[in-house]
Amino acid sequence: MDLTGLGLRVTAARPHVLLATVPGGAAVRLAAERLLSSRDWPQVPTPAQADLLLVAGPDSPESQAALERLWRDLPAPRARVHARTADEVEAALDAGRALLGSPAVQHESAALPAEAGGHQEGEHGSRERHEGDGQAPGHGGEGGGQGERRADDAHGGPGGGHTPHDAGQDREAEHGDGGQAHDDQDADGHGNPGGHGGHGGHGGGRTEMPGGLPMAEQGADRDGLALDQLHVSLGPFLADWPAGLTIRLVLQGDVVQRAGVDEPATPAAGGAAEPYWAQPWLRVASGERVPVGEAVRRRAAAHLDSLGRLLAVAGWPAEAVRARRLRDDLLSGAPRAAVAPRLERFTRRVGRSRTLAWLTSGIGVVTAQKAREAGVSGPAARAGGDVTARYRQWLTDIRRDLPRLEDAAPLDVAMEESPRGLWSAEDPPSAALIALLPRLLEGAELAAARLVVASLDPEPDELAARSAVEVARG
Amino acid sequence: MVEAGAWWTLLAAPGLLVVLAALAVAGNAVLDARNAGRPVGVAGAVRPFLDVPRALVVQPRRLPAADRLLWRAGVVTVPVAAVLSTLVIPFGGHVVADLSVGVVWFNAMEVLTWAGLWLAGWGPNAAFSLVGGYRFLAQGLAYELPLMFALISAATGAESLRVGDIAAAQDGLWYAVWMPVAFAAYLAGVLAFSFLGPFAYPAGRDLAGGVLGEVSGVDRLLLRAGRWLWLASGAAMAVPLFLGGGAGPGLPAWAWSLVKTLLVLGLLVWGLRRLPVIRADRYVEFAWVVLIPLTIVQALVPAVVNLNR
Repeated sequence: MDLTGLGLRVTAARPHVLLATVPGGAAVRLAAERLLSSRDWPQVPTPAQADLLLVAGPDSPESQAALERLWRDLPAPRARVHARTADEVEAALDAGRALLGSPAVQHESAALPAEAGGHQEGEHGSRERHEGDGQAPGHGGEGGGQGERRADDAHGGPGGGHTPHDAGQDREAEHGDGGQAHDDQDADGHGNPGGHGGHGGHGGGRTEMPGGLPMAEQGADRDGLALDQLHVSLGPFLADWPAGLTIRLVLQGDVVQRAGVDEPATPAAGGAAEPYWAQPWLRVASGERVPVGEAVRRRAAAHLDSLGRLLAVAGWPAEAVRARRLRDDLLSGAPRAAVAPRLERFTRRVGRSRTLAWLTSGIGVVTAQKAREAGVSGPAARAGGDVTARYRQWLTDIRRDLPRLEDAAPLDVAMEESPRGLWSAEDPPSAALIALLPRLLEGAELAAARLVVASLDPEPDELAARSAVEVARG
Repeated sequence: MVEAGAWWTLLAAPGLLVVLAALAVAGNAVLDARNAGRPVGVAGAVRPFLDVPRALVVQPRRLPAADRLLWRAGVVTVPVAAVLSTLVIPFGGHVVADLSVGVVWFNAMEVLTWAGLWLAGWGPNAAFSLVGGYRFLAQGLAYELPLMFALISAATGAESLRVGDIAAAQDGLWYAVWMPVAFAAYLAGVLAFSFLGPFAYPAGRDLAGGVLGEVSGVDRLLLRAGRWLWLASGAAMAVPLFLGGGAGPGLPAWAWSLVKTLLVLGLLVWGLRRLPVIRADRYVEFAWVVLIPLTIVQALVPAVVNLNR
């Protein structure tokens, strides 16, 4: 028990945080990212790696089910906190640390399956067992419930990759040379994964599915082969992903066959729903006088935020951290002279990186004409090209905006575009970007698909502003 | 010449490897802290090691229909292979086993990682994890042949597969100097089999961690330790292969080995953050069109030199 106590204290000293941003939570996310970085609390992309689930943003009933699934997948010791506004983040993190470090709380939460979303993972003893508990008591008996849960995950999963339902299919996909539709023996983990197709027959008589998982259906792939399809959804809580966006993919191998975008979840009704990055434009629309400098600053920070995401997805964490630091400095109102040299160095290093350009070229091409036809007006339209062209456009825009950070002239919404395009509450720029996605993703590999989404970086919160307008008009 | 088989080397080699890997982790943490604007210091450097006791209390994952046996086997293989690879690496005047086919042993252990990582991706029965496992195979197709030609270049130069002989053959002129392409391909290979930095493709952030996405607790600790152990092992192997082993003026051989290993390790840790992840679909093309011909020509150079001697 002493070891457990020590482990808990250590866990609390450097908790690994799974940051789940709900719709309308952009400002909270920024505060959380800043604080986590300064405290050196690592931000992790999946529940398996996390100790602390930090929900960032206003209450969102639509996201509850997905959040519950995330929470259920967090291994103990664990804690869950919710920061509704940016000011609450610090208190929430401290509360999370206290929860994690307290053996009494961990014991109690582990003993109460109710808190674990009805899932049985939590009997206290399991924390100390590391080996051989694969068939732990209660596990087998849960077959039905587990099956439900998996089906659930597959169709609205948190996107952390833990969609066992799909993985079952994926496994099939790798063996997908026909004739093994009921090869549950293999998928049950007893078979030899190296045996391709040859043992398709020996499990054929059984109709019981491995772990209660349904089998994949097949479809023709681009090379004319019949491969198994698996259904994976990206979002709504994927790391480095637009909060609230859910894209449902049909994958064969790691190639996207079909992509469909869900109607983005909207924040709960109320004033807190306004899209953070377009705030200055919204304030002008409501009759306020906003200095251009403030809008330009917000726009440059938005581009840096998008760049941070793109660089993280492209696997360049060092530069992603730099982009986010610059973003935070801009948002905290740092004077131009303080940020300009670092910003200059950053844009040069990333903009001139031949490796990054080589890795992103030819992916997700949107010509300027196509973009205009689709109603895109922002950097994506001006860039008119592939992922490389789009991130370079962001960098160019940031450089162009830099001299105007202190401009006090009033903002004219018809002259200055919002971060993602000319602002219009009826037709927010992100709507056109999201509409572009399915066509761009189909046929792309998973890694390329992530880059495409990151290079357009739509903000689903903007769509909520549209529905607010529609509601207002009746 | 190196002295092989002293009993204490069996303990010292893994111990030294762990220390070197820990130094690499600490160095990386310092660079991270500086990059993120946190105070740089010892406290920040040792913070990643808090993950070790943490791993011991984290509940193991139970995923439906997971292939526990192969998953566990894969996770254990990666660090174990890294430790085994050090058996043939001379450190100063000592080595655990002075095999006549030392280079092949090192290469074989490194290829075990292919199986280990693929199984680690396969085991949890999750889509992203499996994609991550396959990514390592794709990456392997790209980096392995250039790496092998790099090893062959050094072995051809010394006309021996014994690592001690290769170090001794560089009397006067390091292979790193007259086989720069092989040295560069070897260093890239080290990053690739450690799946770190530009070669972190199997554990990519775009896959929410890939092969590392579903492991928690001790399994996760082993897999992550495996990465850094491989980095340290690769750095240590670079010294006898390309940097003349323990030879050097003034200092004893073990000190030269240590200094050179630390320099290579430092270079690798610094290099980790200089490039984005090089996706295998692009890297395979580069490797097969550019790197393999280059490394073959490189292997030809010592062959021709030795024939004419």
